[in-house]
Amino acid sequence: MTPAALRARGPAPQDGRVPPSVQVSGLTRRFGDITAVDGISFDVGEAEIFGFLGPNGAGKTTTISMLCTLLRPTAGRATIGGYDIVDDPAGVRREIGIVFQDSTVDERLTARENLVFHGELFGMAREDIRPRAYHLLDRVGLVERSNDPVITFSGGMRRRLEVARGLMHWPSVLFLDEPTVGLDPQTRRSIWAYARSLRDTEGVTIFLTTHYMDEAEACDRVAIMDHGKIIALDTPDRLKARLGGDVVSIAGPDNEGLAREVREAFEVEPRFENDAVEFNVEQGGEFLPILLNRIEGEVRSVGIRAPTLEDVFVTMTGHQIREAEASEEDKMRSMRQRGFGRMR
Amino acid sequence: MTVEQATATVDAGAQVATGSPRPATGRANFLQVVRVIWMREVLIYFRDRPRMISAFIMPILMLVMFGEGLGNSIATLPGDIGYRQFIFPGMVAMIVLMNSVFSGVSIVTDRQFGFLREILVAPVSRTAICIGKITGGATISLVNGVVMFVMAPILGIDITLEIVAKLIGLIALVSFMLTGLGVAMGSRLRSVESFQMLSQVAIMPAMFLSGIFFPINNVPAWMDVIVKLNPVTYAVAPIREIALSEQLKALPADAPFQITHVDWFGYTLSTWEELGVVFVFGAVMLTIAIRAIRTTE
Repeated sequence: MTPAALRARGPAPQDGRVPPSVQVSGLTRRFGDITAVDGISFDVGEAEIFGFLGPNGAGKTTTISMLCTLLRPTAGRATIGGYDIVDDPAGVRREIGIVFQDSTVDERLTARENLVFHGELFGMAREDIRPRAYHLLDRVGLVERSNDPVITFSGGMRRRLEVARGLMHWPSVLFLDEPTVGLDPQTRRSIWAYARSLRDTEGVTIFLTTHYMDEAEACDRVAIMDHGKIIALDTPDRLKARLGGDVVSIAGPDNEGLAREVREAFEVEPRFENDAVEFNVEQGGEFLPILLNRIEGEVRSVGIRAPTLEDVFVTMTGHQIREAEASEEDKMRSMRQRGFGRMR
Repeated sequence: MTVEQATATVDAGAQVATGSPRPATGRANFLQVVRVIWMREVLIYFRDRPRMISAFIMPILMLVMFGEGLGNSIATLPGDIGYRQFIFPGMVAMIVLMNSVFSGVSIVTDRQFGFLREILVAPVSRTAICIGKITGGATISLVNGVVMFVMAPILGIDITLEIVAKLIGLIALVSFMLTGLGVAMGSRLRSVESFQMLSQVAIMPAMFLSGIFFPINNVPAWMDVIVKLNPVTYAVAPIREIALSEQLKALPADAPFQITHVDWFGYTLSTWEELGVVFVFGAVMLTIAIRAIRTTE
């Protein structure tokens, strides 16, 4: 079955084409004087893994909260599966599955009961609920633990259960807010493997937020978000290609001096990262001998590597994701988290 | 589970099937939502053994402490009705009152553990969520109230099947009303601690000034006003009238004061009129609770 056929629900597109799963234009949310999300616009396609990358406090969770109809936008519009988030929240809610950053399973119920409860709440037919719950528990590797109370589950198992629960009612878009924070690498891998198979076999669109670079690399497309704005949106490869060439790093006892020399000699804008001076050049391998010939300060190590999304982020925002996380943004973050908990 | 196993599980799953094909899921109907919310409340209650056992022991302790302790020093009841018999229906009312109001805490804990979010993001009627919560809590306090009937014969109260049937209906109504109060409180409060404090503050006066412990038709004028304004008064009176109906029949006509019915400026309310007050108060509580859940965040 094709993804489109699997997803046969929601208003029919006028011209016979499949519309984007998520359409956002000018979406804005202010909390008092702070603009958490500042007029963002983007589309997410059918059966796409779409990632929101940015430091905590960039507005990722606020955006997701608005798309999930938990928070009213201050301005702008968005539709999911053709349903407007303001005019038809119930339509949107049927269309989406949500896995929150914090656990929302009932630990006094068993794994299966959590899924059955969800199925009933979403109006699934009685005869569909149990097979669907079994199927999903099997897919996330919890079928042997179906009848155990969730209180006995590890963090990774709970997260997998939440993913299964989010999928109970056949949503066309699955929202994952920081889905792998605090999980061990194995669980992260299995959640990712499952996300890909969902996209490929069931045509589910996956919309996730992350501040992990490797996770963003695995998305089909990534929107880089900072200070409430989307500063870049493309496939990870194309984002990295924008930087061009390779990242060269040199380090010595006087990094400041090295940076000054590099700036003057090659007209590039070096940045300090990992106790080294880093900058981008077209052909790293051919550049290295030239570099070492021209530099007069003492060099202890040099290296070349392909650019990562982190480099893209640093180049476009002028700061690292980790720095932003530790700064004044923390205040805004906690404020926004309160905003996230505030539901209609 | 190793990475290989995890990946293998996923691959196998992908080959087998994509689950049953996606059916057209409608909106859950009102009663389905009420049922599933109710079901969860009851399920969680019966799974919580310590809570169940203490809820059972509490009224027995109360009966012994008040019935035997206080009873020996109170001897102003007319007719053959002893204090033990007098306080029994009061204890039933008290257990229902406490269980009902406290059951509102489930909304606070749901909020604390995040589960409330799972409920509130579902595309369902908030009114149905509210009624589900109230019927769940009311069911639990009904069970606790009814369990107390086993004490009646021990206390020398003539209890018939007819009385039991009437009491069950009556207690169900009272539980619904008082759980509405608890749910309304629960959906406004953020912490279990503040819920417990506030419910104590609400329950204490409601309990002592309602006729649970002493006849209300023999109190000072200022207290009389509070007693008549207290909705619990109108729940205690009919419970006692029905539970003690056999004893009350035998009461002499020239008793110095009657010990059950509520008096309004010399007019004695009938059982049905008292029930009417309970019903109206219950409807008000339900409306408040629904509004509170509708606007809860």
